[in-house]
Amino acid sequence: MINTIKVERAILNLTQDDLAKKIGVSRQTINSIEANRYVPSTVLALKLSAVFNKPVNDFFKLAADD
Amino acid sequence: MNTKEIINCEQRKFQKLIKFRLPHRFMSIGIAVVLLAIAFMFVRAFTIDGETEWLKQFLQKTLLVGMLIMSLSKDKIEDEMTLSLRAQSYAVAFVIGVIYALVMPYVEFGVSNAVHSGGEAFKDLGDFQVLLFMLMIQLMFYHNLKRFR
Repeated sequence: MINTIKVERAILNLTQDDLAKKIGVSRQTINSIEANRYVPSTVLALKLSAVFNKPVNDFFKLAADD
Repeated sequence: MNTKEIINCEQRKFQKLIKFRLPHRFMSIGIAVVLLAIAFMFVRAFTIDGETEWLKQFLQKTLLVGMLIMSLSKDKIEDEMTLSLRAQSYAVAFVIGVIYALVMPYVEFGVSNAVHSGGEAFKDLGDFQVLLFMLMIQLMFYHNLKRFR
């Protein structure tokens, strides 16, 4: 799974900490998601979708090996 | 109460049991209990004379309780990733604990007899040793997994 959360965050001018507070997780979790070390649950993906005001498919994509 | 309600009630209670965690402040309490237990273990070993086996048993149990409190206490920010890391650390601790309990008695027996002939007789590990090892592995792995996340 690859994602463009870093880009979406930059568009909204949010730091990792700001985004983490908005969706109720730790900053390290956002960092791990951005680095593709952790795949979030559907609930968290939908929370991110609500913050970015975009469908989940816009910022999460399946990688070739998924 | 019909069957469906009973099943739902059981599921809710089961989920509640699975999700049970102590508040974050219990981490400090757990650490304090562990440190006190270790300190008293040294005091018992070096300063108290006489029959103190009951105290040793009590301090061992206290140490395990302290580590269990540490293991069960929540992080400052508990989210789905920390829950996942915690589950991984429990799984690793369980597997390594079982291997330790199976292998360690043979290692102790082998080393003891290799060092001096007619060494210790073969004996299984005690519950304290296995539980202490498993809790230590769980806490260590959880801490490391959090560091490298």
